[in-house]
Amino acid sequence: MNIIVCMKQVIDLEQIRIKPNTREPVTKGLPLLFGDFEKCALEEAVRIQEKHGGKVTALAVGSPKLKDTIKEALAIGADEAIILTDPMFNDSDAMGSARVIAKAIHKIGEYDLILLGDSSADEYSGEIPPRIAELLDLPQVGFARELEILEGNDQGTNTKTIRAVRDLEDALEVVELDLPAVVGVTSELNTPRLAPLSAILKAGRKPLNEWGPEDIGITADEVGANASVVEVLSNLAPVQDRKEIIYEDVEEGVAEVVKALLQEGVLTQ
Amino acid sequence: MEFRLSTEQELFKRMVREFCEKNVEPRSREMDDKEEGIPDELIKGLADLGVFGIMIPEKYGGSAPEGEEMTYANIAVQELGRAEMSMALPVYTLLCLGWGFLITKYGTEQLKEEVLPRVAAGEYFTGIATTEPGGGSDIANIQTSGMYKDGKFIVNGEKVYISGVLESIEQRDGGHITLIRTDPEAGHRGFTFVFIPAKLPGISYSTFDDIGRMALSTGSLVYKDVEVPEYYMLGEMNRGFYLNMEGFNLARILVAAACVGMTEKALEISRDYVKQRVLFGRPLAKFEGISFEIAEDHAKLEQLKLYLQYTAWAADTLYKEPDFISHRDLSRMVSICKMEAPMLGAEITQRCMTHLGAFSYTKECPLGRGLRGIMSYVVGAEGGYHIQKLIIAREYIGDEAVPYR
Ligand SMILES: Cc1cc2nc3c(=O)[nH]c(=O)nc-3n(C[C@H](O)[C@H](O)[C@H](O)COP(=O)(O)OP(=O)(O)OC[C@H]3O[C@@H](n4cnc5c(N)ncnc54)[C@H](O)[C@@H]3O)c2cc1C
Repeated sequence: MNIIVCMKQVIDLEQIRIKPNTREPVTKGLPLLFGDFEKCALEEAVRIQEKHGGKVTALAVGSPKLKDTIKEALAIGADEAIILTDPMFNDSDAMGSARVIAKAIHKIGEYDLILLGDSSADEYSGEIPPRIAELLDLPQVGFARELEILEGNDQGTNTKTIRAVRDLEDALEVVELDLPAVVGVTSELNTPRLAPLSAILKAGRKPLNEWGPEDIGITADEVGANASVVEVLSNLAPVQDRKEIIYEDVEEGVAEVVKALLQEGVLTQ
Repeated sequence: MEFRLSTEQELFKRMVREFCEKNVEPRSREMDDKEEGIPDELIKGLADLGVFGIMIPEKYGGSAPEGEEMTYANIAVQELGRAEMSMALPVYTLLCLGWGFLITKYGTEQLKEEVLPRVAAGEYFTGIATTEPGGGSDIANIQTSGMYKDGKFIVNGEKVYISGVLESIEQRDGGHITLIRTDPEAGHRGFTFVFIPAKLPGISYSTFDDIGRMALSTGSLVYKDVEVPEYYMLGEMNRGFYLNMEGFNLARILVAAACVGMTEKALEISRDYVKQRVLFGRPLAKFEGISFEIAEDHAKLEQLKLYLQYTAWAADTLYKEPDFISHRDLSRMVSICKMEAPMLGAEITQRCMTHLGAFSYTKECPLGRGLRGIMSYVVGAEGGYHIQKLIIAREYIGDEAVPYR
């Protein structure tokens, strides 16, 4: 089983501050980390590898900081990593990013499974998995919270499928896909392991390849700001209005607050 | 000049923090209340992360970042101090790291093979036993004897206030690097450092009823004709005093790390609290009487933290470049850390408690545990407050400032 895990570095969301007067998020200078979803994708890849053998490749598009960030993936268990940090890829929309990723996957060539976070922790558009599946002409499933590799035999040749339990909020759906396939995972899938010191120290010695636009055969009209068709109109924190209702009477206050919370769906009966 | 942690150091720090926030912090109160030691799962989890193997080469089951051991240990112990403010777990760990490093450096092959893999796996405790009923500060005056005969030291005497007594005899397994008198005539030039497994025949123990770090025991060890095989000796015969000082340099850096970690967390608790506690119509943080105190404490702590990182780096560098500075120069730096960290930490923690008011006086609030824990290092553990001043004065002013010469 050769598995490619697509990982996106995002700023540490817990450290974002909101400018109180303009409601703009302050994102400069914050540390870059992998989001929880991609960590789950990587964890699952490593678990599948532990059971079925093969190789795990981490693939990431982003800023040059990836040279550092990617070490976490290598420490957790990826066997090698490919990073794409050319400035040409900056400010891509989801389509642009999907093109870069799909072309890189195409160049890797040998793979049975592509795992990635269902959405990224920062933008949360959820567009990348279906887009790369479409570009690579592969079956795809999202919201996977449980995965199992099934090995079968079809007229003498080994076949591999993957069974995914999809979380559709009201229901769980079980889907089977022929491999190779693209699977977007949620954070219910597993609890990612922590990298031990010995693995951290060895991460830097694992193969790390940096590919540029020429390596994957992509041009400036397909990626980056130029190719982007998405325009961000606003990116402000929601207004948080305090209701400023003061109840003098505790009994009455509790009842009213509970009623309000029920109405807003914070509590359910 | 590079002030940043490396990517690997940063990653390790985050791993330890994630482990601690999820596993250690939620159990910190229970550990202090129950007084039943440190849960095995926590030690095991930290061992799996490689924390207990920081000082131990791969050959002996560790994962030493060779040449950067103290820097990594400083990082890990600070994180433990943040998560377990009573400091029982940080102290347990730092003793294994600091004194374990001395075994790595000066132990015989047989001792290293016997002990180090078990330390790395979190099964075995390694501590230090120098203090005696006659006083801890005046180490040159220890009385425990260890006459060498037929390949063995015959040890007789008593060590007191020794951390990890129950841990190494009842709860887990372990031993202490012990300072003994091997040449009664030669003063401190007649001391030898031997590792003594706490379960050797002839050792009896009792424990003290401490006021803090309740999940870690301290007690006394009484040695009656204890036979310690020669391979347990560290370094050379009659060089124990100097090795002891070298070991203090390592352990005291990590003591300061535990104190800095605890204090950093105490200050964060206070910072977060005063932002949301509304009094006289505004958050407490709006009052300069409070915010300036926090600002000043933050400033002092940041300075200390940076100096500590520098000292840990200096210790690492000294092992790589033996003429970088002298061991005595390193002692001066280390004593600055060991003098400042517990006292400053205790003062800051007290101020934090005043910011939180009555809540800080309950056991639900971790600040009280922190204050009780850090006081162990003010009153003496790993060398008293004044002794650090004595060392700094000796190295900075010169022999004129040494009272015992
Ligand atoms: C919780 C705890 C755990 C400990 N764990 C260990 C352990 O694992 N192993 C171990 O060997 N020891 C341990 N100790 C003992 C510790 O090392 C001693 O407390 C320390 O060395 C001081 O010795 P003492 O307590 O006998 O005080 P003393 O030596 O009696 O000193 C009393 C006071 O006088 C001050 N003083 C001493 N000399 C001078 C001087 N010349 N000028 C000015 N002031 C001076 C000291 O700083 C101290 O404040 C532990 C102590 C504590 C509290």
